[in-house]
Amino acid sequence: MAHLSLDQTPPLSVPAPYLLIAPWFAAAAGIWLALAPEGFAGRWFPAALGATHLLTLGFMGMTMLGAFQQLLPVLLGAPLPRPRTVAAAVFLPLAAGTVLLAAGLGSGQTAPLHGAMGLLSIALAGFLPVAARALLRAPLIAGTSLAMRFALVALGVTVVLGLYLAAGHAGPGISRALTDVHVTWGFVGWIGLLVAGVAYQVVPMFQITPDYPPALMRWVAPALFAGLVLWSVAWAVFPAAAPLLAWVPALALAAFAGATLYLQQKRRRRLPDVTVAFWRLGMISLLAAVLLWAVHPWPGSDLLLGVVFLVGFGMSVVSGMLYKIVPFLVWLHLNNRVLEFPALRGRIPPMKHIIGERPARWQFRAHALAVVLLCTASLWPAATRPAGALLALAAAMLGVNLAGALWLYRRIRNAANTQHGRD
Amino acid sequence: MSEQLLDVSGLEPPEPLVQTLAAAEGLPAGTYLRMLHRRDPCLLPGNLSQRGFTFVQRPGRRTAVEVFIWRENDAAAEAAARATLAAENP
Repeated sequence: MAHLSLDQTPPLSVPAPYLLIAPWFAAAAGIWLALAPEGFAGRWFPAALGATHLLTLGFMGMTMLGAFQQLLPVLLGAPLPRPRTVAAAVFLPLAAGTVLLAAGLGSGQTAPLHGAMGLLSIALAGFLPVAARALLRAPLIAGTSLAMRFALVALGVTVVLGLYLAAGHAGPGISRALTDVHVTWGFVGWIGLLVAGVAYQVVPMFQITPDYPPALMRWVAPALFAGLVLWSVAWAVFPAAAPLLAWVPALALAAFAGATLYLQQKRRRRLPDVTVAFWRLGMISLLAAVLLWAVHPWPGSDLLLGVVFLVGFGMSVVSGMLYKIVPFLVWLHLNNRVLEFPALRGRIPPMKHIIGERPARWQFRAHALAVVLLCTASLWPAATRPAGALLALAAAMLGVNLAGALWLYRRIRNAANTQHGRD
Repeated sequence: MSEQLLDVSGLEPPEPLVQTLAAAEGLPAGTYLRMLHRRDPCLLPGNLSQRGFTFVQRPGRRTAVEVFIWRENDAAAEAAARATLAAENP
């Protein structure tokens, strides 16, 4: 990890809007499910497509892009230029574009889709080159830098394919098979690679585990990325080989999940920690998703696979990470101001008190139950309404917990400012 | 005794930083702090410099990283730290 000068950490206002709004996209997806359960009988139903993008772009995209802008300087010592401008230029079009995309896909109307394509192009055109430039200049940190670079390329491929598919939705129609390529690059490439790259740093750091084995950190990301490229080429020119090549990224992800579960068993401190629970659920879900992807047990199992990967794996690890990242950022930004505002000394709460273990644990239970119910609903549609309601509840609880942490930051900082002004 | 030992290798961020800064600020004159950690403490250097401390970081024997910390103007602590560093790295 690079030594970090304190002025390299972007202001909290850079990631805060992303992290504050993200859970509410997931809550909206849950409410949509609960109010219109008949729209989720299959992955191609308009409402299913709309709600899926509220989760992928709205929840996962928002948190991952927000955290990326904060973690790049902190984990890799690679500050983004003009962080406030970039954050603002990406946030608004991403948020508005996600709403329009979900509305367009859900309603089948073309006008929102056209708007979404424009706005999402602006957001990603603002983010990708800046992030790529910073990553290329960053010092190489074992495994993490490479995984993040591949993840960024995967995001680019996902977005380009997504825009092409959205244009098809808004016009002549789409290739369903190409949708699989889009989904695979987004799920396995962007989410899988970014989670692995960040995990190499944050799992040993925050969960007090041994480091990941160097060979695993060296090989998982290249194998995953090369496997995805080969699978995509095979899909285009020699489809018979595609299922066989799908095993390469599948095994890379399984190795990562297995290693993480093993490391968690070797934790040095066995204190209650909700992040460990979220990551355990995430890694078990990832193993289940790999199995479903490789075996493809029945024709309609795609919906279950999507739920297990996106909600069981993706949302779980991201939520778990948020319970570390957000309190840590609150603490870090208050600590950075201690010398400027001596009134803060002794008033900065310990990290564990910034979001209490109890509300976080209740949110984890709601989320885990939502995962189980959503899996059930993908097999037995009658469970869709309660599954959606629970997803919305769990996401809202996460939103409240995160907002509470940022509110605490604001309160302590304002109190210190006031006292400083008085002094 | 001119050395104070602090092992933060089993702690979760930001406890290693919090405890190290607290220990450094409580150092008596002529004493340096030897901090043991399992990772490169990326936020520590900036915080130490801001607070008027000097440090030397090196790979450790018991843990991955050792950091020797003393007050900028404490010549006796610096001499003791550098003597230990020299003795342990002939």
